[in-house]
Amino acid sequence: MDKRQLSHDILNMIERLRIMHDLAKDQNFSVISKEELKNDLDETLKKLSEDFNILIQ
Amino acid sequence: MDKIICLGKNYLDHSQEMQEPAPSRPVLFIKPPSVLVEPKDNGQVILPWGRGVIHYECEIVFKLYKKNIIGLGLGLDLTFRDLQKELKQKGHPWEISKTFKNSAIITPIKGLKDFPKDWQNTPFTLKVNGEVRQSACLNEAIMQADQIIHYVNEFFPINDSDLVFTGTPKGVGPLKPNDLIEMSFGPIEHSFRVVEFG
Repeated sequence: MDKRQLSHDILNMIERLRIMHDLAKDQNFSVISKEELKNDLDETLKKLSEDFNILIQ
Repeated sequence: MDKIICLGKNYLDHSQEMQEPAPSRPVLFIKPPSVLVEPKDNGQVILPWGRGVIHYECEIVFKLYKKNIIGLGLGLDLTFRDLQKELKQKGHPWEISKTFKNSAIITPIKGLKDFPKDWQNTPFTLKVNGEVRQSACLNEAIMQADQIIHYVNEFFPINDSDLVFTGTPKGVGPLKPNDLIEMSFGPIEHSFRVVEFG
């Protein structure tokens, strides 16, 4: 596993979480629905945890 | 943020004022996030006039998530115009004329829900010292929203939170120290001064 790429992916996921937070805070669901946002959150958190566990090895 | 993706020559009238032929499709280039600045309303932005004439180019800015536009703002894409001309004449890349500190100025980004549904028909305006210098709608551009995303995606991996500067209409020109910049678009009303020193 290329850890530099992994690190880049992790930082992108953190950025994605920040956008999800902004969409939820602003109740901005006109493009991404509430359900889609919840699914994105679950998927991103799961992947973030997996990738972080690899990075930390 | 990963990058700022910029379209050049997306408005025919801008190509005409630059006395350059319009390309079949807009030019694409990238600015790094390190040149981005978001001044507070009534704030100021420091610019390096000692290095040459700085031209403003006002543009609609997209904020993206999963390749969807989730927010809109306005941006000023700044250019060392003389340096750009010189590099173009030599046939060299001209990135360095557009990547100096604070060369990408943005207003706060507002959610798409805050804009009218026909936001592509909503005019955006740039005033310098109270005088309207640029005013247009995205629908007047060669490429509009969906086409722009599709086009950009052909050439760049689009990451969440990337910004897209969508090109500037006619009316570009030089900035002077202490100029008052006012930018408006739908719910956005933002002003600041450009200064030589903080």
